[in-house]
Amino acid sequence: MTSQTFSTWGRWVAGREQVPPDKLPSEFSKDQPLKAFMGWDGLFVHDTAVNLVDMARAYMEQARQESCGQCFPCRLGTEDMSAILEGICAGKGTPSDLDRLESLARLVTDTARCDIGQTAPRPLLDLLQYRREDFLNIIKSKTPIPAGHYVTKVTAPCTNACPSHLNIPGYVEKIRIGRWDQALSTIRNDCCLPGVVGRVCVRPCEFNCRRQRLDSGIAIRALKRYAADMELESGQEPPLQPGPAKDKKVAIIGAGPAGLSCAYYLGLKGYQSTIFEALNEPGGMAAVGIPDYRLPREILRGEANQVKKLGCEIRYGVNVGVDITLDDLKLQGYSAIFVGVGAPEASKMRCEGEDAGYQCFMTGVEFLRRVAYGERPVEGKKILVIGGGNVAMDCVRSALRLGFTDVNLIYRRTRAEMPADPVEITEAQEEGVKFNYLVAPLRIVAKDGKVAGLECQRMELGEPDASGRRRPVVVEGANFIIECDAIVPAIGQICVVDCVLPPEEVEITKWKTMVADDITFRTNQPYIFSGGDCVTGPATLIAALAAGKNAARFIEQFLTTGQSVPEESDYMERLISRLGVYYFKEKMPYADSTTKLHPPVMEPEVRVNSFEEVEGVVNSASATKEASRCLRCYRIAMAAV
Amino acid sequence: MNSLTLNGKNISFEPGQTILEAARTHGVDIPTLCHLQAADHKGVCRICVVEVQGADRLLPACATPAGDGMVVDTHSSKVVQERKMLLELLVANGDHNCLFCEANGDCKLQALVYEYGVKNVARRAGYEQRPIDDATPMILRDFNKCVLCGRCVAACNDVQVNNAIPYPFGRREDKPPVTGWLPVADYDRCVHCGECVQACPVGALLEKKALGKAMTWQTQKVRTTCPYCGVGCQMWLHVKDNQVVKVTGVEDVLPNRGRLCVKGRFGYDFVHAPDRLTTPLIKENGAFREAGWDEALGLVASRFSEIKAAHGPQSLAGFTSARATNEENYLMQKLVRTGFGTNNIDHCARL
Ligand SMILES: Cc1cc2nc3c(=O)[nH]c(=O)nc-3n(C[C@H](O)[C@H](O)[C@H](O)COP(=O)(O)OP(=O)(O)OC[C@H]3O[C@@H](n4cnc5c(N)ncnc54)[C@H](O)[C@@H]3O)c2cc1C
Ligand code: SF4
Ligand code: SF4
Ligand code: SF4
Ligand code: FES
Repeated sequence: MTSQTFSTWGRWVAGREQVPPDKLPSEFSKDQPLKAFMGWDGLFVHDTAVNLVDMARAYMEQARQESCGQCFPCRLGTEDMSAILEGICAGKGTPSDLDRLESLARLVTDTARCDIGQTAPRPLLDLLQYRREDFLNIIKSKTPIPAGHYVTKVTAPCTNACPSHLNIPGYVEKIRIGRWDQALSTIRNDCCLPGVVGRVCVRPCEFNCRRQRLDSGIAIRALKRYAADMELESGQEPPLQPGPAKDKKVAIIGAGPAGLSCAYYLGLKGYQSTIFEALNEPGGMAAVGIPDYRLPREILRGEANQVKKLGCEIRYGVNVGVDITLDDLKLQGYSAIFVGVGAPEASKMRCEGEDAGYQCFMTGVEFLRRVAYGERPVEGKKILVIGGGNVAMDCVRSALRLGFTDVNLIYRRTRAEMPADPVEITEAQEEGVKFNYLVAPLRIVAKDGKVAGLECQRMELGEPDASGRRRPVVVEGANFIIECDAIVPAIGQICVVDCVLPPEEVEITKWKTMVADDITFRTNQPYIFSGGDCVTGPATLIAALAAGKNAARFIEQFLTTGQSVPEESDYMERLISRLGVYYFKEKMPYADSTTKLHPPVMEPEVRVNSFEEVEGVVNSASATKEASRCLRCYRIAMAAV
Repeated sequence: MNSLTLNGKNISFEPGQTILEAARTHGVDIPTLCHLQAADHKGVCRICVVEVQGADRLLPACATPAGDGMVVDTHSSKVVQERKMLLELLVANGDHNCLFCEANGDCKLQALVYEYGVKNVARRAGYEQRPIDDATPMILRDFNKCVLCGRCVAACNDVQVNNAIPYPFGRREDKPPVTGWLPVADYDRCVHCGECVQACPVGALLEKKALGKAMTWQTQKVRTTCPYCGVGCQMWLHVKDNQVVKVTGVEDVLPNRGRLCVKGRFGYDFVHAPDRLTTPLIKENGAFREAGWDEALGLVASRFSEIKAAHGPQSLAGFTSARATNEENYLMQKLVRTGFGTNNIDHCARL
């Protein structure tokens, strides 16, 4: 059997060697081996029992269905290739069919406009080159062959990088043709807060956009925001309808992105849900973490309101674990529970004095939460913020807006290692934040119980650590004190799910995160599901939305069948991610010089004076132009299992 | 800097030019079918593909920027073979019988099929007849001849911005069979400007009024200025035996760059209307009689002079029309100011 396995995987995307079969995934799921795989970069076969001719037929039929009809070779070629392959598999093929197939496949890869047409004929071309006898045998036998079962999925480099796998080329194209309404419904299939995510997403998609290989990537986030802005401006209600009402209801703990998303997709299916939220505001960290100058609160409230319209009630001011327990919820008739309580507490700096309760010392999340409620939580003119991530950026930029005139960031490595978004760093610099690199906090200097300064260590970069970043090491004898009025550490958040759930009932980790299945989001209790930051530790909005969306699907499965087991498409998604869709080294056949759309931003001198939104509106002409830069890198994956 | 090798010859190009533009500047012809400059519509038909050294596929000349040092072959054997194959596929997927086609002689597909020596292509087995849209008095849409180039869609939505032909493309699976990808007009939005007809490279969209009137080579094209309004659109009258059989816009010139409105394109019947005035008429005793120009103008002049003498220049006024040319409007105000001696002159465009 092994002698017959073969692979052409990797030969197509320019500049790569073929990957041998034993280096490629051979497991589809725990109990299903991956027998064969066809995709954009060729094919590989682990199990010789797979009839590759039939699989090629099925693959081409899928390509035919995916063809958008725009360009001639793909529209006409996939149709003809598909018909010929159908004929061969029905026992009606002739040897000359193979030559015709080959020239059609060549024509389509050579001349099609997007990756559907350019990549779909590749496995067929490989088969015609290496396994022509397989075709000839079937043609000679003149007997139909049975159709196999295959799992298919369409992806793209950007789509694959997105935790919620949005159909990005799909919605970008809708914007190109001027249909923001259709773009929004495509977005809403996988992301229920378009205006929010369109503003503050950390956009892994953009870092995986294939257009970067050509000149600069697509402004995917800004286009999402554009679609959401257009809907707001039009005054139209989003066309959202709750599904036919079901008699089972679901309790959701936490109205953060994960909880809202779970309620939204349950609502679309007709399930009523009740969200229990400790705060008096929806959005979780998006509301009380992310400052208003990046995400105006009314946008978040508006989109949370849409979730309510789908049959979800939010009960504010209810602290689950204190005011009400899981058992109470069960007694109240909720058939399933989703836990999305986030990562609300700040990590410790391990710095002397941080637990002393000094005035004007406050953790970043607490600081931002109070700022979100309109307070000025610490006093003075000079503030130190410790950390190099996005939360630290939010703290320094908020401090400027609160009237601090001397705002300093303290980071123990250098700018190159800073995890914060480069755009955030630049904008903070423009606003006048002072960046102190290679400095680590050692001791808080206090006077009369109030912060007076920070004793720091000078650092230098040593050997790379596990994360690949160079480890900062202390320069001995170079300690110094920075005088200041307030100190805000923002070096990370931690979870405290043990406060919400009795640990004896639900499995949690030593980091106090929930243990949940990475596909179904089910915990060790069949009726309790969990997702978002409380499972992963502090992550991103879109990851939390994805968790809520997928959990809703498995909650529905649980409520209808009593089970929650992954579907083939879930395994397929995982397989595709393992193979990788974006090739950082792909060589493009020509060079281009278009530039990415940059939405307008308010002038630094103006924007530091208030919490007004920094980023402005993109007009339709720029949005259409940006959308037309998309290369439609759709790729079709098919697995025989 | 900015030079490439085109069919073995070194040529220079302007930054930002496509391969197609660079080639055209140097007199090298690359065939196109879908490219519609005015709407920046391109990259659809793939007829313009060329071979670029080092590229793993062929590249569309209309949509690929010219690059420094590129080595381009516009007619390599591979290119010619694939263009020919594309044309064969097109012919097999439609009703392309030039004998019965109004566009015979004025069809990009026909010209390309001839140029590339495409022969005897049978209709694709399983080709299903597409609808013919005969719903309006002006435009006939025979989708069996449509090659789905999208030019009419771009012309309607991006050139005239009437948005009356919804973008038809999208996953085959999401579309109804047969009619799914057809550029069907939404007549609630269509203003019958006929831009789509002018954009159609084949015989799928036709002016109904011109049907059966003349074969392309029997007409003479006469360039003129549209008489309807003051914009001054440039138009071609297609004339056979001194009869206007069709009107099209003159491409690439101002002010209209090929565009016309419903009146300019379709409202030409008056030219040959039997009840059209051909001489001046003078009304006497309640009835009109034909008169010569000298007599008529003499009469008008003498009456105006009488009024002016009896009641003064302020009793006269002039009012001009947007259908007159700028020059005519200028002369009119000159007449009113100097001849009549009044500033009572205005124009309908100010109303
Ligand atoms: C300052 C800051 C800036 C950020 N910026 C970005 C960004 O720009 N882009 C991005 O993608 N991500 C950003 N993030 C991360 C993002 O906000 C989170 O990953 C996301 O909000 C996680 O969603 P969640 O629903 O899992 O948890 P959360 O948003 O934390 O929501 C949890 C909710 O549960 C409630 N809750 C907790 N315990 C209980 C209880 N016992 N009973 C009832 N309710 C309870 C909380 O009040 C909260 O409303 C940022 C985070 C912070 C802190
Ligand atoms: S899917 Fe891509 S390759 Fe296929 S018709 Fe559309 S643009 Fe062309
Ligand atoms: S060019 Fe378009 S389809 Fe390709 S990766 Fe970028 S956004 Fe996705
Ligand atoms: S009707 Fe004409 S212009 Fe429109 S898509 Fe068809 S062939 Fe092209
Ligand atoms: S003319 Fe270039 S693709 Fe149609």
